[in-house]
Amino acid sequence: MEFKLEAHRIVSISLGKIYNSRVQRGGIKLHKNLLVSLVLRSARQVYLSDPCPGLYLAGPAGSPTPQPGEPAAQPPAGWGEPPPPAARAAWPDAEPQRPAVPDAPQAGDAEPAATVTRAGAALRGRNEDTAGAAWGRVDGPRVAAAEGVSDASSEGPPAGCLRAREGQPGPVSRADCRRAPQPAEEEPCAPPGLGPRKRGAAGPGGGHAGCPAPCSTPLKKPRRDGGEEDAEEEMETGNVANLINIFGSSFSGLLRKSPGGGREEEEAEESGPEAAEPGQICCDKPVLRDINPWSTAIVAF
Amino acid sequence: MGQAGAFTTSFLEFPRVSFYSVLPADIISTVEFNHTGELLATGDKGGRVVIFQREQESKNQVHRRGEYNVYSTFQSHEPEFDYLKSLEIEEKINKIRWLPQQNAAYFLLSTNDKTVKLWKVSERDKRPEGYNLKDEEGRLRDPATITTLRVPVLRPMDLMVEATPRRVFANAHTYHINSISVNSDYETYMSADDLRINLWNFEITNQSFNIVDIKPANMEELTEVITAAEFHPHHCNTFVYSSSKGTIRLCDMRASALCDRHTKFFEEPEDPSNRSFFSEIISSISDVKFSHSGRYIMTRDYLTVKVWDLNMENRPIETYQVHDYLRSKLCSLYENDCIFDKFECVWNGSDSVIMTGSYNNFFRMFDRNTKRDVTLEASRENSKPRAILKPRKVCVGGKRRKDEISVDSLDFSKKILHTAWHPSENIIAVAATNNLYIFQDKVN
Repeated sequence: MEFKLEAHRIVSISLGKIYNSRVQRGGIKLHKNLLVSLVLRSARQVYLSDPCPGLYLAGPAGSPTPQPGEPAAQPPAGWGEPPPPAARAAWPDAEPQRPAVPDAPQAGDAEPAATVTRAGAALRGRNEDTAGAAWGRVDGPRVAAAEGVSDASSEGPPAGCLRAREGQPGPVSRADCRRAPQPAEEEPCAPPGLGPRKRGAAGPGGGHAGCPAPCSTPLKKPRRDGGEEDAEEEMETGNVANLINIFGSSFSGLLRKSPGGGREEEEAEESGPEAAEPGQICCDKPVLRDINPWSTAIVAF
Repeated sequence: MGQAGAFTTSFLEFPRVSFYSVLPADIISTVEFNHTGELLATGDKGGRVVIFQREQESKNQVHRRGEYNVYSTFQSHEPEFDYLKSLEIEEKINKIRWLPQQNAAYFLLSTNDKTVKLWKVSERDKRPEGYNLKDEEGRLRDPATITTLRVPVLRPMDLMVEATPRRVFANAHTYHINSISVNSDYETYMSADDLRINLWNFEITNQSFNIVDIKPANMEELTEVITAAEFHPHHCNTFVYSSSKGTIRLCDMRASALCDRHTKFFEEPEDPSNRSFFSEIISSISDVKFSHSGRYIMTRDYLTVKVWDLNMENRPIETYQVHDYLRSKLCSLYENDCIFDKFECVWNGSDSVIMTGSYNNFFRMFDRNTKRDVTLEASRENSKPRAILKPRKVCVGGKRRKDEISVDSLDFSKKILHTAWHPSENIIAVAATNNLYIFQDKVN
């Protein structure tokens, strides 16, 4: 259990580093990003291999009123804490999903897992491997529960900054994915490890208080076509292969230099971080359907 | 202790502490003695190079012998912007390497992430006076007013040290340059970035030979990068480069034009009991240095320094723990990015002592012969001129003694990444963020 927590935390930190590296002076450092991606891979392996049940993404203990937009003061260690019992019931959106959630592990829709953020899994005590997905779901757009897409963002989004619009079969509209990635290290926003509780969710998508609310306002940068894989050599950084393995093959464009639109290039090479604008979303891919939690994190980027 | 490099008790006593502080904003990013030890060059984050020169002995001020004073300061690199890639190129000086002195001037190479420059540092202490066609201010004189001719003479002037860029070696690196190394033939040098190593001739700036290229055809398959490279001190065909996977490759340029295939491969099997999320990071080698003899190489990874014999590839002959107490704190160090710090390591002149830095402004020395080691601190409070440095100790658990520092009190923002050792004497230069400390043995 602890390993999973640790792994999860490390993943979020790592993703934050990758994101931050895009905006730092001097361009992306290939070496550092390579090391970070190796850590990501290790953490993922641990995370996925640890058969520990009941990982509760759910909110930190004792958060009594999970109201939408509530700036949950959840302790970062939302992980693994026994879910506050009844409180979660307040999440109507989540409710319907709950049953679906958990035992339908990653294979299924992400959304059930997604919806069930803290409450769901927690309440049920369910074995949340899918909880992983939940943490990714930060402040997804508020999608009506009926749609099954969940992100109970209106309820005050759960996990940290990384949001994942999951579970939508098929490509989600790009807009959904285009959120300004928020590094997990943004402290006020995301407790390390992405405490499931998203604070301050007001507004669509419920951004974190203090965080640029990405979810709500998809940052749609003009797509730069071409130049993705220039003939001339560019500084390609990022061990995308590893990331792809980690996040599933449907993800592409992570750390892609130009927001190539919904292009589904599998290679997803980091073709020159230099050209990326800070805050640019890397991934314009729809959220992965499988519950693989990492994928949700990726979407953030 | 008169013997250069001998690590005796006296070396622990550094009575004379020269201490120079550069502008607070500028963090020192490299330190290097020249081949005689007379000059010490530092590069900083602002792209400047400051050269110190050792004072000559003088009978009048015996105790001041050997202090280093500023000799020259110049701006080596400026920040640049690559418009094509929307990439800002930092002006930070990554490395400085001196060329051996061949005439009255001094030459050094300095590099930032993308461009290497050859600088000539020369003195001028005379100037010509008495021109016929120009007056003293340099204005042309009307030839009609000249009635006599005189021979211009050289008159002494205040010493002026000028630095001029003689060569600029640009546009050869796609990735960030991490090392430069002057070859023992003094005609060529190499520059290494994350994936490639180029060989240059000092005279030719518009082309270089690529001698190592580890870039995979598909970047997705990238698993390791080059972290440091150095030429053998005597064999101009041999060099080594280290990788982020903790391996060292020795290459012979006579074997083929492209040295992708190594001649020797140094790797120590990983200890499975130490496996953690961060095993790969802490095994990444941050510095590699040949011994002066050319028989050994020393590598620095995050927690250890290792000495390898060139004739034994399967494991190092010596391993020294620099700050093993950090092993349990790797996660925090990962979070605050300290785990990515690149510490350097240096040999003393006789290859008997090795030195490297740590946190809290500590630096460590290991005597290879006696197996003794010492931890010292570079700080203003503890370093009064002519004071003796006291060994420090980190308490790793249990009861902390009076003089010890507990691991949790270490200041990780105070790190000593760059140090240098005089080529023949017991004089060391230690860069602590933006302060430069020069310590000397209590000799003489």
